[in-house]
Amino acid sequence: MSDELWQTIWLSLRIAAGATVLALVVALPLAYLHARRHYGGKSLVEALLVVPMVLPPTVVGYLIISMLGARGWIGQYLHHLFSYSILFRIEGAILASAIVALPLLYLPTRAAFSTIDREMEDTARVMGANWLQLFWHVSLPMIRRGLASGLMLAFARALGEFGATVMVFGIRIHHTTLPVSIYLDYEQGEMERALPAVAVLCILSLAITGAYNRSTLSKQE
Amino acid sequence: MSRFLAFALAVVSASSAWAETVSVAAAISLKDALGKIAVQYRSDTGNDVEFTFGSSGQLSKQIQGGAPVDLFISAASTQVDDLAKANAVIAETRTVVAGNALVAIVPGDATVAPTSTKELDRPEFSKIAIGEPNSVPAGEYTAQALKNANVYESVKEKLVLGTNVRQVLDYVERGEVSVGFVYATDAKISGEKVRIAYAVGEREHSPILYPAVVVSESKKREVAKQFLAYLLAEKAQGELASFGFTKPPANDTVKTVK
Repeated sequence: MSDELWQTIWLSLRIAAGATVLALVVALPLAYLHARRHYGGKSLVEALLVVPMVLPPTVVGYLIISMLGARGWIGQYLHHLFSYSILFRIEGAILASAIVALPLLYLPTRAAFSTIDREMEDTARVMGANWLQLFWHVSLPMIRRGLASGLMLAFARALGEFGATVMVFGIRIHHTTLPVSIYLDYEQGEMERALPAVAVLCILSLAITGAYNRSTLSKQE
Repeated sequence: MSRFLAFALAVVSASSAWAETVSVAAAISLKDALGKIAVQYRSDTGNDVEFTFGSSGQLSKQIQGGAPVDLFISAASTQVDDLAKANAVIAETRTVVAGNALVAIVPGDATVAPTSTKELDRPEFSKIAIGEPNSVPAGEYTAQALKNANVYESVKEKLVLGTNVRQVLDYVERGEVSVGFVYATDAKISGEKVRIAYAVGEREHSPILYPAVVVSESKKREVAKQFLAYLLAEKAQGELASFGFTKPPANDTVKTVK
């Protein structure tokens, strides 16, 4: 494999890993909160967490650029103060992929939190566990399977993200992700050149979904 | 519903009986000028024209793939050469319809601007937008200029590649990059939003010419030739000039291998 392909694979993995972590930071507390409490505006927040599943990624890309681009609502101030814009930066690609992957992590985690045995939590609380101990030592271990499958799906989705990424991250020499490199090769009429990237994505996606299937099937047994 | 369909069919068949529609695939830098010329063409000839705009490389691949196009207008000779080699175009019809110039632009509110290509490796020019050199002629000319000034390797990491020249223009307009390379005509269209930093010297890249050529697969070769002739006539040439395009050189017909 060429150095360029390795570079592309490495960058894709870093972005997908970063996106999965970012999605986790958002999804985990909200999934726990939503499985336990009701509050005003909850259904709106839930809808926002899940809507990227049906929203075209180009809409996600458009919204990120309108918010955080150099001329965006918030971006114009960042640009003015720090000459910062999220475009063409790795954090932009991470944000784009994280938003698109978020529902795949949030939904199974939320489902797992709602199905765990509440008596275990109540017992722990009676025994004097504070909320952090309760969450860390009792609730979290009980949802580890649901969380693991969510993490796998989110990582796989982030790895394959194209539409929002190409808009926010752009196309740069030595800075492309696997899906973007495939599109670029196609656009230049170099279908054969895209083959290694296509193969790598197929293998990685199959491996992840295979692992996902194994984990969900063993759960049912 | 059926009455509407009958009406629609009548309109379609009636209009096709009188007028022909020529399908033109053209470099996106010609978009605004051709749009205006098309209006005049319609009223002068009664024929219609429909456009597909994109990077010349993209369009050339689409034509090779059998896209239903009658006339191709490229922003560089490379793409037409490729098509001629593949016998996808009628080489004898190849004619240069206009010329252009390459300029470096900065956002309208930029505080720093380069004065020459050599300065681009300075750190204040943190992101430089150019067309993707393999498929976007403006990028191809820019890459030549960067290599000519011996800065290509040192600025490589700062390059952001646009999939056509108008995307490069857009990146600069929105202040997402510090410098961009577009045609003089693109900068003119953009108005206040961008500022020309400097014009790239003619000797720094191959001449920027727009060859037009009739596509071999075209079933409307005569209309395609008519539109091509219309482009070369005074009226359309005047319109192109008003957008900032230069006149094609006197020996404007560049024949290639038949």
